[in-house]
Amino acid sequence: MNIFNIYLPVAGIEFSVLLLILIGFCVGVLGGFFGVGGGWMITPALNIFGFHMAFAIGTPLADIFGQSIGAVRKHHRMGNVDWKLGFVSIISSVIGVEIGSRVILEMEKVGDVGSVVRWCYIVLLSALGSYMMYDYFSTHPRHKGSADVSSKSAEKIRPGGTKVSEKLHRINLPPMISFPASGIQGVSVWIILLVFLITGFLSGFMGVGGGFIILPVLVYLIGLPTTIAVGTSLVTVLFTAAYGCFTYALKGRVELLAAFIMLIGASIGAQVGATAIKYIKGYGIRLLFAIMVIFASLSVLTEQFYKMAGKHIFQQLAGIVLMGTALAMSALIIGKLTLESRKDGTSSRQN
Amino acid sequence: MSTTRALVILLVSLSFTCVIPVVFTGYNEVCSSEAGSEQSTEFRNKVDTSKLSGIEYLIADMYNNDRVLYAVVVTLVMATLGTGMAFLTDLVLKALGLEVSRISHKE
Repeated sequence: MNIFNIYLPVAGIEFSVLLLILIGFCVGVLGGFFGVGGGWMITPALNIFGFHMAFAIGTPLADIFGQSIGAVRKHHRMGNVDWKLGFVSIISSVIGVEIGSRVILEMEKVGDVGSVVRWCYIVLLSALGSYMMYDYFSTHPRHKGSADVSSKSAEKIRPGGTKVSEKLHRINLPPMISFPASGIQGVSVWIILLVFLITGFLSGFMGVGGGFIILPVLVYLIGLPTTIAVGTSLVTVLFTAAYGCFTYALKGRVELLAAFIMLIGASIGAQVGATAIKYIKGYGIRLLFAIMVIFASLSVLTEQFYKMAGKHIFQQLAGIVLMGTALAMSALIIGKLTLESRKDGTSSRQN
Repeated sequence: MSTTRALVILLVSLSFTCVIPVVFTGYNEVCSSEAGSEQSTEFRNKVDTSKLSGIEYLIADMYNNDRVLYAVVVTLVMATLGTGMAFLTDLVLKALGLEVSRISHKE
C-alpha cells in the first residue's frame, strides 16, 4: 500500500492517496445529497488516521468549499435552490456564529468546554434524529392511512409545510417577506432572522458548519420542501466553507495537497449525491438523514466515553461508527441512484 | 446553469471570504481554540523545506513566507478545481444517462 502514500509537506506526514480520495468521495456524496458540509465526519476521520487536529479541522473546510460549488450548481439546475432565503439566512447566521463563538471564548476562560460542547452535540443530534424518525413514521403516507393524509389537506397545510411552520407563518409581525421559489407566500422577516440567528449560534458554539442543523430547520420550521431545503442549505454551507477555507489557510491550518486530493473524490461524490436527489422523494431523504444523524450522535457519545474513561478503544470505535455510517450511507445512495436510473432508462425506452 | 453563473457564484464567494475574516476576527479565535488542545505541543507553524523539492517545496515555501498568498492560492485552487471537476463529472454523468433538469418537489 506504500506506493499509494504521498508526503504532505505542510502537515509533515505521509498519507494514503486512496484513503484521501475515499474520504472525500463519501463526504461529497453525503454533502450533495443532504446539503451538509460533512466536516463533522472528515475532521475525526483525518485525526484518527494521523492528521494533527489543527489540520484536521482546517483542511476539510477547503475541501467542502470546493465540492459545494459543483453541488450548488447542480441543485440550482434542478430548481432546488431558494437564493433569496439562502442570502437572508447567511446574514443572520453570521451574527449567530459570532455570538456563539464569543460565548465559547468566555466559557473557555472558566474551564474545559470540550465536554459541554460534546454533550450539546449528543443531545441535539439525537433529538433531531429521533424527531425526524417520529415525523417519518407518523406522517408518511405509507405508515399513515389515506384518511389521515386527507385530513392533513383539510388542515390546509401547503405541500412541504409542517404544522409548526404554518403556525410560524401565521405570526403577523411586519415587515413580511415571501419566498416564491419555496412556495412561501408571506412570513415575518423577524421569524426568519431569529431562526437563523439560533442556528448560527449553535454552529458557532459547537464549531461546525451547521448544515445538519439548517436542513431540519428549513424543513420543519420554515416549511420548505425537502429537496429545496437541501439545495438552499448548500448555499449556506458554500459561503461558510469559503470563509472557513480562507481564514484557516491564513492561520496555516490547511494542508493544500491533502485538500486538493480529497477534492477530486469529493467533487465526483457531490455530483453523484446531488443527482440521486432526483430519484428519492422528500420523506426518503428525511429518513436517511435521521438515521445518519442518530449514528453521528452515537459516535460523539463514544468519543465522550473515551474522554471520560481514557480508553483508546472508545476513540477508535467512534471513528469506526462515523466512517462506517458514511460508507454505508454513500453505498445506499449510489445503489438507489443506480437502480432508479436503470428503471428510468428502461421505462423511457419502452415509451 | 451556465458557466457564467457558476463563475458569478465563485466570485461572490471569493469576495465574501476576503472581506468577512477581517470583520469577524472573533470566529478566527474560535477556530484556533478548537485546534488549541494539541497546538501548544505539536502544531508547527513553519515547515522544514531542506529536504523538499518540486511542488512540495513550492507549497511549503509559500506556507512559510507569505501566509496571505498561501490563503489566496488555497481558496483559488479549491474553487477552480471544484468547478472544473464538477463540469467534468457532469459530462460523464450525462454520458451515462444521468442528466438532470428541473424536478418536481414531491414529499
